[in-house]
Amino acid sequence: MDFDLEELVNVEQTFYEEGYKDGFAHGRIHGSIEGRALGREKGFEMWEELGFYEGFAMLWQVILSQRGTADDRAAQHIRQLLALLAQFPRVNPSATDPTELDIPKLFRQIRSRYKALCAALGVQPTLRAGAPSATAEDSDPAIDLADAPSGGSKSVWPVQPAANARAGAQLSF
Amino acid sequence: MEDEEIWQEGPQSVQDAEWAKLSSGFTNAGYREGITAGKESALQAGFDEGFAQVGVPIGRQLGILRGIATALLSSLQTSVTASQNTVSVDEVRAITSQLGSIRFSDIAPPDLEAVRHAREHLGDRRLEEADEMEMPVPEEVQGKRAIESLEDMLAQMGGGAAATAKRPSMDDVNELQKRLLAVCGQMGLSLQWN
Repeated sequence: MDFDLEELVNVEQTFYEEGYKDGFAHGRIHGSIEGRALGREKGFEMWEELGFYEGFAMLWQVILSQRGTADDRAAQHIRQLLALLAQFPRVNPSATDPTELDIPKLFRQIRSRYKALCAALGVQPTLRAGAPSATAEDSDPAIDLADAPSGGSKSVWPVQPAANARAGAQLSF
Repeated sequence: MEDEEIWQEGPQSVQDAEWAKLSSGFTNAGYREGITAGKESALQAGFDEGFAQVGVPIGRQLGILRGIATALLSSLQTSVTASQNTVSVDEVRAITSQLGSIRFSDIAPPDLEAVRHAREHLGDRRLEEADEMEMPVPEEVQGKRAIESLEDMLAQMGGGAAATAKRPSMDDVNELQKRLLAVCGQMGLSLQWN
């Protein structure tokens, strides 16, 4: 029988590939589970805040029209706030199309419009609508965004796995 | 050659052992690299799915309810005709405070694939080994859970028996939504959103 070195190398390769295939399949399951867990949290966090502004604006809109003051300054803020909210994506834009949507800017505009509305109504703004435990800076996407040099990146919420232990931080833009 | 002889004439057991060592060594190395590559290949799609299908709709529903409740409360408090609204104010306060205590972890549906996969891991030694180098709950999520359990602990220390009540569920959210819209109805405010 001949001892064929090349065949042995092929055998190594075959074993490796077999393992790789199984590992890859298993890794995909974990990747999608972990990705979903992160995506859920992020989507909830953002839209809980945005939804708060939306509900707030919708209710004041009906109150103002009931009072017959539907065209004063507050009502205008409401219309603009609702228009901004309607622009805000409900899917991660990286998954759809790489439009020129400036998420951080939109977020900032929404927040300041909300504050302006509160001032016009003479009520105290509630910042950080839900989440009682987090400090404003911790979970404020607009602030995260301001810190990050966002030039060039195509996907709005890219996942940059493994390389960085704080993968979660990467997800917040 | 000596090496050759081991392969050709050595006792079967030596051959088998060498063979098994060789095969499992390369298979494991492949498995390890495969798992990392597989994970990375699926992460973004998973993120987008969780974002759009679970996080956003649930967050938005809860956020809208909280926004409505807050706006109602402030309008009732600044209203000139406040005297006739005392019942509503108390009701809206109660709703607001209950909405405020709801966490995403209370109302998020379970990730069925995660549940199923965790069960598979229980029976499989190879998967368990893989787990050791693997990722359990993402760090960011873990941190949030830790804070929540701390909150629970503090609540129990302060509140005694009442604080040990069970966590709210999606049914509670829907119930609070009904109550909130009922108050709106009483005030002649009709609201709808999709």
